[in-house]
Amino acid sequence: MTVKLSEDKMYETLSQVISDYHANEDNLIQVLHMAQVIFGYIPMEVEKYISREMDIPYSRVSGVVSFYSFFSTQPKGQYMISVCLGTACYVRGGKKVLEKIKEMTGIEVGETSQDRRFSLQVMRCIGACGLAPAIMINDKVYKQLNPTKVEKILNSYMKGDAVNVENY
Amino acid sequence: MSKTIRNAEDLKIISTEFNDRLKLYRHTINLCYGAGCLSSDSKSICQSLEKELEDKGLVQSVKINNTGCMGMCAEGPMMVVNPGMTLYCRLTEDKIREIVDSHIINGNIVEKYCYLDKKTKEYIPKMEDIEFYRKQYKIVLKNCGRIDFNSLEEYIANDGYSALEKVLSSMSREETIEEIAKSGLRGRGGGGFPTGLKWKLAMKTEASNKYVICNADEGDPGAFMDRSLIEGDPHSVIEGMMIAGYSIGANKGVVYVRAEYPLAIDRLDKAIHKARESGLLGENIFDSGFNFDIEVRIGAGAFVCGEETALMNSVEGRRGEPRQKPPYPSDEGLFKKPTIINNVETFGNIASIILKGAHWFSSIGTENSKGTKIFALAGDINNTGIIEVPMGISLGEIVYDIGGGIPGDKKFKVAQTGGPSGGCITGEYLNTPIDYDSLKELGAIMGSGGLVCMDEDTCMVDVARYFMEFVQDESCGKCVACRIGTKRMLEILERITLGQGSKKDIEDLKDLGQVIKDTALCGLGQTAPNPVLSTLDYFMDEYLDHIEEGYCTAGVCGELFLSPCENACPAGINVPGYLALVARGRIEDAYNLIRQENPFPAVCGDICTHPCEYKCRRAQIDEAIAISDIKKYIAEQVLNSDKPITTSVLPKNGKKVAVIGAGPSGLTCGYYLARLGYDIDVFEEQDVAGGVLAFGIPQYRLPKEILKKEIDSIRQAGVNIILNHKVGKDIEFQELKNNYHAVYIATGTQFSRKVGIDGEDLKGVYHGLDFLKDVNLGKDVAIGKRVAIIGGGSTAIDASRVALRMGAQEVHILYRRRIEDMPADKREVKDALDEGIQIHELVMPLEISGNSENSVEKIICSRIELEGFDSKGRRKPVKKENSDFDFQVDMVIPAVSQYSDFPFIRKDEVELTSYGSFVIDSKNNMTSMEGVFAGGDVVRGSDVVITAIADGKKSAVEIDKYLGGTGDLHKGDQIEIPDDFEEHEIFEHERFPMKVLSADKRKGNFDEVNKGYHRLNAIAEAMRCLRCDRRI
Repeated sequence: MTVKLSEDKMYETLSQVISDYHANEDNLIQVLHMAQVIFGYIPMEVEKYISREMDIPYSRVSGVVSFYSFFSTQPKGQYMISVCLGTACYVRGGKKVLEKIKEMTGIEVGETSQDRRFSLQVMRCIGACGLAPAIMINDKVYKQLNPTKVEKILNSYMKGDAVNVENY
Repeated sequence: MSKTIRNAEDLKIISTEFNDRLKLYRHTINLCYGAGCLSSDSKSICQSLEKELEDKGLVQSVKINNTGCMGMCAEGPMMVVNPGMTLYCRLTEDKIREIVDSHIINGNIVEKYCYLDKKTKEYIPKMEDIEFYRKQYKIVLKNCGRIDFNSLEEYIANDGYSALEKVLSSMSREETIEEIAKSGLRGRGGGGFPTGLKWKLAMKTEASNKYVICNADEGDPGAFMDRSLIEGDPHSVIEGMMIAGYSIGANKGVVYVRAEYPLAIDRLDKAIHKARESGLLGENIFDSGFNFDIEVRIGAGAFVCGEETALMNSVEGRRGEPRQKPPYPSDEGLFKKPTIINNVETFGNIASIILKGAHWFSSIGTENSKGTKIFALAGDINNTGIIEVPMGISLGEIVYDIGGGIPGDKKFKVAQTGGPSGGCITGEYLNTPIDYDSLKELGAIMGSGGLVCMDEDTCMVDVARYFMEFVQDESCGKCVACRIGTKRMLEILERITLGQGSKKDIEDLKDLGQVIKDTALCGLGQTAPNPVLSTLDYFMDEYLDHIEEGYCTAGVCGELFLSPCENACPAGINVPGYLALVARGRIEDAYNLIRQENPFPAVCGDICTHPCEYKCRRAQIDEAIAISDIKKYIAEQVLNSDKPITTSVLPKNGKKVAVIGAGPSGLTCGYYLARLGYDIDVFEEQDVAGGVLAFGIPQYRLPKEILKKEIDSIRQAGVNIILNHKVGKDIEFQELKNNYHAVYIATGTQFSRKVGIDGEDLKGVYHGLDFLKDVNLGKDVAIGKRVAIIGGGSTAIDASRVALRMGAQEVHILYRRRIEDMPADKREVKDALDEGIQIHELVMPLEISGNSENSVEKIICSRIELEGFDSKGRRKPVKKENSDFDFQVDMVIPAVSQYSDFPFIRKDEVELTSYGSFVIDSKNNMTSMEGVFAGGDVVRGSDVVITAIADGKKSAVEIDKYLGGTGDLHKGDQIEIPDDFEEHEIFEHERFPMKVLSADKRKGNFDEVNKGYHRLNAIAEAMRCLRCDRRI
């Protein structure tokens, strides 16, 4: 478990990184990589901070961040829910499962919930076609789902009771 | 090692010291620390190995090396014990303990933990004896998996950095470039631009600063070669870059690695650090005045950055959008300075070329593609992993010899190379030598080396859609052609996979594709349409199937079918539906549900080749559902009960249709038309109805009484079968045409084709189908003592088993390929072998020779060698020189194939294929003769029963439409299918067994071999169904 830094400490660390890279604009991507490590994602305030400290127009910083898929302007949730919409899962009701998850977490694909518990993404086939429809929460695969089962599983996670879900 | 390396002497000292130290060990163990093995936890294997050696006091005598990828990623974690190159696979802690005890301490190899050859079922201890490694040729990967990637000393002890020393001490820049140019090395990133030329252009540009960039932004799905090289032998890449730097006059190098490869970044960083420490990177290298240093830049997840100009923008800290060319990087590249960009693998070749010479390098490969190529094998292939092969090797050798073939007995369909910029290579080209030019000719490209195999279950429209989605997602958005064009192409492809496409879509795809190719700014955009255009070239029929028939052959596009099994059935039977009914004990409903789509449930239960089972998703868990056997159970229950089978029929419509041939196709067509109210007369030459079912299929597979019951039920539906009426003799064809509103011809293939060798007219030669027919119809057939069958199809297997049952003492099958290549059903082949029939594979008959009385005495045969591949991936049989031998027999049954003949029609009246079968309009099954339809084997050539039935049904629809109907068949009341699927966890369980007569009890008689399911087993088996038809 990594120790969570205070926000001031985070900016201090970032400032150190920028000076290590001589605030040179060629190193913008390296700096952004480090910023994402420090903050977990790159919020607008951090973009602005980097823009000021490195003397690069904000538009360019933002342009670079939005260009590369590795950089996220959204925080990632504690649990990444990946819904398989490969063919087998799709025809066996993967979409219904996805709808249920959206409804319960209140987030759309690509988003993270307010409390940063859940992020939601769609995947193309996680290789569990024989047991479709399937989803993954972090690295754990849940198979043969239907909306009722999804509800049970998510409820356990919401209660912080992920251990009990292991038996699914 | 902090001492600075200054000259060749220093390298030699390090090398000698290293080798001397190595001699102190009795064993070295190379443990794979490639990304694949690490993910199967080779780290903890290493710890247990260390602990075990410590416990046994072996630390001083055994050296453990952590190495890069050994290639066979699917077999990991793995290690090699030296001396002896013994490869151990799929390691566990327990195995480690046993290996240390037995091999390290006592010198006994533990064979059972070595590689298991899936074909020979033998363990192969020695790495170099494994087929996967045997056909490889390692230049770039020579150190990968053999040395410790972290050890600069070991790299040096394997000639490392001596190429750099050689260049700096004794070669001019021009000489170095000339050597590379002469070697014929071409860029391994995919484009294949001559490396020497690229360097020469950059050298000639005058500038204060120049750059060498190594492109390690390996983004193609299915490609992992570059990471393997960097992770396994980072110094070879560094050395290659340095030689490039010296040659063009650059003193700065950049490696651009994608952020998804932290392991590669880490190992490369460490290697660069060590090289710096030893003075190999930095100033005045080897006291030559040459300065060079390398920086690692990490990408941030943008596929387009693999394009060289986009990559340079990214290194400069900008959005990775491509730049207009010219200016080319060799004139104005990174930070506007002359720059060369080469792929990781290209740099990996350089040191070897310098040390061993251009002449040596150019002796490997083909005319215009020299050296080797690394491929990452992925997808539907047994040995997934990394390989390095000489240019010019055939695709077949890669897929079958090195790759170990396709898993699960599936057929090879295509290999996809070059990722989203590439195309596919089909089975027709398995023998094509692979190089830059041949692949380009086929519409694919070499690409960076991703080679994704796809089997028959792959839908090519879906593959095209997948790649287009990928490119669309990764398009940087700078140019309109790529940004909008790929989006439109994706929309069209999605529409087609949903069954909503139109024919114009295909034209649009072609047009758009061409425009994007011509007008996109960078390589990504210009090549983006390739996967679509390439699949359109080779698989137009699949696109048309989706658009016109709403049918996806591979069973991938889920919107187009109920379940994979139903989709695979030519007659479209609702398989999950009747399985669900059986599970509820509703056997009669199950029978009627099948009978809605096929009037021969019992026949198909006995002899269908069940294409449904090959697509069953349950096979991914344990084993496919025994669909055919359950069908047999259903049919027997219903036919053996006293309850009559009822068929509802619409009122007569006053129209008459004649059917020629009372086989499965003709009777099916008649059955459906009769239910619609047509008057049906079926004309049959024999005195029994059923066609090939009656006289071609032996009684022990399909009992006559079962067949009779089903034909009776068809009669009850109103089909009038007129036996002993040969069209052309007892009734003229013209008469049928005049007296009936339409005619359906389904006369099958009734004539045995000859093998085409001398002696086929001797006494004792009986052609396969004639033999089966005469036995079935009760004629007196003389059987030899020692009988040989020629062929490998179902007729050959049937003939062999019938001959045995008729009293032959020995029955031999001569087949020119291998048993696993036989087209006959696997279960039939096994049954035949169990009964004592001997199959001789790889044998070709040359001549049947007779005695003085013109009776068969022997077959003169020759052995066969297999060479190359046919389009289905089967090896081609070639006669082996000087291998002739005599095979003594007194009866020969050639059963190679059958053909059709229909003397009642003049050959100039109707259009025929070169094989003599009918040409029909594929839309409505009509021949070139107005109102005359045809289907089944007479159109297809010898095929299976279920396709004949499907043809009969389709023809009924088309005949009805032709005669003014709607084409909607009358199938009776709808049957409600249970949907109350129980949500229970699925436990692995193989098929429930069916009762079978043992070989001893069956081989002397014609009793039915498969006795069918017990009720409980049938229900249990039906409950294994995953219900892929359900939509939640």
